[in-house]
Amino acid sequence: MVVSRRILCGTALAFLVLPAQASDAAKFVEVLADKVVELVKSRTGAERQAGFQEIMQASFDLPYMGRSALGTHWGRASEEQRSRFLKAAESAESKAYSERFGSYAGQTMAIGKVSPRGGGVIMVESSINQSSGPPIRVEWELQDRGAGLRVTDVRVEGVSMVMTRRSDFNAYIQRNGGDVEVLIKELESRAAR
Amino acid sequence: MMFSMMGSWLGRARQSVLVVAAAGALVSGCASRDQDVWDPIELPNRFIFSINQAVDVIALRPLAVAYRDLVPEPAQRGINNALHNLGEPVTAINEVLQGDPGRALTTLARFIVNSTIGIGGLFDVASAMGLSKTKEDMGKTIGMWAAAPPEDGGPYLVLPGMGPSNARDAAGMVFDNAVDPFNILAYALNWDRLLVLGPRNAARAVDARSRTLVALDDIEKNSVDFYAAVRSAYTQQRGELIRRKREKTDTRGELERREDLALVR
Repeated sequence: MVVSRRILCGTALAFLVLPAQASDAAKFVEVLADKVVELVKSRTGAERQAGFQEIMQASFDLPYMGRSALGTHWGRASEEQRSRFLKAAESAESKAYSERFGSYAGQTMAIGKVSPRGGGVIMVESSINQSSGPPIRVEWELQDRGAGLRVTDVRVEGVSMVMTRRSDFNAYIQRNGGDVEVLIKELESRAAR
Repeated sequence: MMFSMMGSWLGRARQSVLVVAAAGALVSGCASRDQDVWDPIELPNRFIFSINQAVDVIALRPLAVAYRDLVPEPAQRGINNALHNLGEPVTAINEVLQGDPGRALTTLARFIVNSTIGIGGLFDVASAMGLSKTKEDMGKTIGMWAAAPPEDGGPYLVLPGMGPSNARDAAGMVFDNAVDPFNILAYALNWDRLLVLGPRNAARAVDARSRTLVALDDIEKNSVDFYAAVRSAYTQQRGELIRRKREKTDTRGELERREDLALVR
C-alpha cells in the first residue's frame, strides 16, 4: 500500500521534472564542491572559516535550515532571538566545516542520480571516493525558494544535518528549562571561543 | 562526471553511528519529550550512555587511537578483512531471510574463497574476483519486512558496552549471535568461550572504534546534547540502510512486473 504509493508518486514526479532543472541541480552541486576544494587547498585557520561562511551564505538557504533545525521553538522565539540564533548557528557550522576538512587528500566526488521530491525539493546524490575505504554517500537537498537554487540539507550516509541538529537543539532546550534563550546563549558562547 | 572534493572526516562517518561502543553524556537527568525518536526509557539510557562514555574515555578510545596510529595500515586492513570474513555466514543467513538466496550464495562463495586463498580471511581476494562485499544483520532483515517506517525500530536503547540500539536491532543482535556458526561451534565443542571468542570480540570493538573516531569526535564537539545527536544519527543511519533494502526489492518487483507484461504481449 505504502510501497505502491511511493512508486506511483515517484513515477508521476519523474515526468514532471524538466531535464534542464535536473542538470542545473547537478551543476550547482558540482560548482559548490569545486569552491570547497579550492578553499580547503588554499586557506587555513580563520581565513578558511571565513571562506566557508561566505560559501554557505551564498549557496545554502541558512534561514530556512535554521528554522527547520529549531522546529517548534522557532515559532516561540522573538524576531531578535531568531536573528541571534541564525548568526550563532551559522558561525558554529562554518567553524565546524573548516575544522572538519583537515588537509585535502585527493578525494573525488561523482554526481549520481538527480531526483525530484514533493514540494519543489530536488535531491542530488553524490559519492565521495577516497583513496582508501569505500565511497561515502552524500545527498544534497536543493530547493528554489525564490532566490534561486539553494542547499537546504546535506545527508551523509542517510544522516541529515538538519534533522540531527533539530534533535540536538530540541533536547538541549527541553533539558534546560524549555527556553530557546538558553540554546542561543550556548551557541553564542561557543562561537566566541 | 568526476571532480575533486575532500572530506577525510566523512571517511569514518559511515560506520560512525553504527558501532558507537563509545558514547557519552554531557549531562544526565530528566527525560525530554523530543519525539523524533521514541525513547521511553531515556533516563536509564542516558545513565548507561554516560557509563559507556566513561569506559570509552578510559579504555576503548585510547586503545583505538593507538591501534589506528601505531599498527601498520596493511595489518589493520588484514584484521578488518578477517573480522568481516568471520561475519559472512551471518550475513548469508540474513540474505536468505531477506529473500535473496542468490546473494547469499555469493556471500558464501566469498567466505570460501577468502578463508582459503585469502589465508583465513586476511586478504579479500573475493572482491578482486568480482564477488562484492555485503554486510547484513537481523535488525535490517526485521526492518525490511516490518510494517513500520524504517526509522521506527521500537524503543531506543543504549546497550551497556555496546552503545546505541533499539528493540529491533537488539533483538536482531541476539538472533545473529544465536545463529553464528562460530558461536555454535564453540558451544558444541565446549570451548572456553572467553578464550576463543573473547579475542574476536575485543578485536571487533577496537577495529570498529578506530573507524568511528573522527565521526564521533565531530558529533561530540559540534552538538549541544551529545546523547540526543547520537540517538538521532543512529536512528537515521539504520533507517537509511533499511530504506535502501526496501527500495531495492521494490525496483526488482517493478522490473519483474514489466517482464511479465512483455511476456503477455
